Amino acid sequence: MHGMADAYLVFDRVTKNFGPLPVVAPSFDLTIRRHEFVVFLGPSGCGKSTLLRMVGGLETASSGSIRLEGAAVGAPDRRRGMVFQSYSSFPWLTVAGNVLFGMRYRADLSEAEKQERADHYLRLVGLSDFAGAFPNRVSGGMRQRIAIARTLAAGSDVLLMDEPFGALDAQRRESLQVELRRIQQTDAKTIIFVTHDVEEAVFLADRIVVFSQRPARIVSEIDVAGAFGPERLLSLRDDERFFRTKTELLHLVRRTAGVEP
Amino acid sequence: MTDEAALHRIDPAAEPVAVEEARAETETDAGFGGLFTLRGKASRLAEVTVAAAASLIVLVLWELFVDLGFTNKLFLPAPSAVIATLWRMAAGGDLFLQAGISTLRVWVAFLLSAVLAIPIGILMSSYRIVGAALEPIVDFIRYLPVPALVPLSIIWFGVGEETKIFLLWLGTFFQLVLLVADDMRRVPQEYVESALTLGANSRQVLSDVAFRAMLPNLVDSLRITLGWCWTYLIIAEIVAAQSGIGFVIWAARRYMHTNEVMAGVVVIGIIGLATDQGLRLLHRRLFRYL
Repeated sequence: MHGMADAYLVFDRVTKNFGPLPVVAPSFDLTIRRHEFVVFLGPSGCGKSTLLRMVGGLETASSGSIRLEGAAVGAPDRRRGMVFQSYSSFPWLTVAGNVLFGMRYRADLSEAEKQERADHYLRLVGLSDFAGAFPNRVSGGMRQRIAIARTLAAGSDVLLMDEPFGALDAQRRESLQVELRRIQQTDAKTIIFVTHDVEEAVFLADRIVVFSQRPARIVSEIDVAGAFGPERLLSLRDDERFFRTKTELLHLVRRTAGVEP
Repeated sequence: MTDEAALHRIDPAAEPVAVEEARAETETDAGFGGLFTLRGKASRLAEVTVAAAASLIVLVLWELFVDLGFTNKLFLPAPSAVIATLWRMAAGGDLFLQAGISTLRVWVAFLLSAVLAIPIGILMSSYRIVGAALEPIVDFIRYLPVPALVPLSIIWFGVGEETKIFLLWLGTFFQLVLLVADDMRRVPQEYVESALTLGANSRQVLSDVAFRAMLPNLVDSLRITLGWCWTYLIIAEIVAAQSGIGFVIWAARRYMHTNEVMAGVVVIGIIGLATDQGLRLLHRRLFRYL
């Protein structure tokens, strides 16, 4: 489909074992393009989060390599930012303090520049009015926005999101999905987004990678960008093609899980 | 009898009113009604009222028990007598001096414990090399009874201040190490991993995130160990001491001055309670974000 010139993030014959048990089988290959929004869809515990954590440098591959722009990824750094399902905003810092924390270790920015960037990302995620509040005073959805703004402010090139909206109610999740897609477009980020929610996957992704149960194997790759384009609005959910894609995918996931022949 | 009858008349009427009010109030401040609900929440006023009433009842029963001659006053003086003794000792000024000396000993030992235990506890939970090396040792020593080490400590340090400080330190340091280690262990992994992917190195993760995250629990752990320090004070101050509240208690015992023994115990209780409340207040002030 695309040549090596497009290769931005590459999983090259990656394997991972926890003790004698393989998490990824038998050798995992995947190429992700720059600014692509890839969703890893699969059942809980299938190993997709482990792959994500390997990109982040929080786990190491048993063999094979993961390369970002040709260089093997190593220890975690701010280029590969992680957003978790549980609220990881720091409770002792205000909303603005959390976003500023994302730039704490950047010597290349002056204090004024940091402040400016913080303001920018607070605006981008719609939290300007809550800048001085502590995270325990804002909703779960806002806490996830803090984490997203903090990671963006840090200057991540790749956003690694591990079921970030999993703990939110349906309305908050929908509105954050729209916003995340918008942010990905305006900020031109490469995103790997892990979820087990089929609808979320179809709504967000340029490409969906469907995983088998553990050990993780790619069952299918679905190009969604071609069908729905880059811009995703809430109205997409009412689209008949959206519904069809979702239903097909749901059946595929069920067949993979063995609950449907 | 008439009083009791009056109580009975009021009770059935008063209770439903209180319950009604409780329902009307918010969940966090259920007034007096919350006192009677399973897992209910009561207002601060209700809590304080019940606490004061309960303490008063205990004191009145105790007073009656002694005054009605159920026991020999020599063994158990009435609370009024203890208060009178306390007043007399306080008027002389000596009591404050002795309490001050004891407080100083407790704080010196406690700070020595804290200064050593905090970094060691943090490192135990952060690096397996430190944890694997120290956990068995700390676990073993913390089960050694402090009183059993009194002879050793006299051999090592003589009968001066060093022995007292050492015994107090011994009683708190090893406990505190494990509490600190546990506080650090409970810092959510997501905080650590978020910081790493925001570009922090190991040292920065420890100082800027993990330490900051554990701080509220750490202050609680310090508050608890400071309390234990006071319980070991008596042991430390009956070892050839010439000063301190423990010494006052021990000296009074020799002459069967039960009033003074109890007064000494009450003083320790008051200092302990005041310190504890002070640290709780500090906790609330420092960690408003919780």
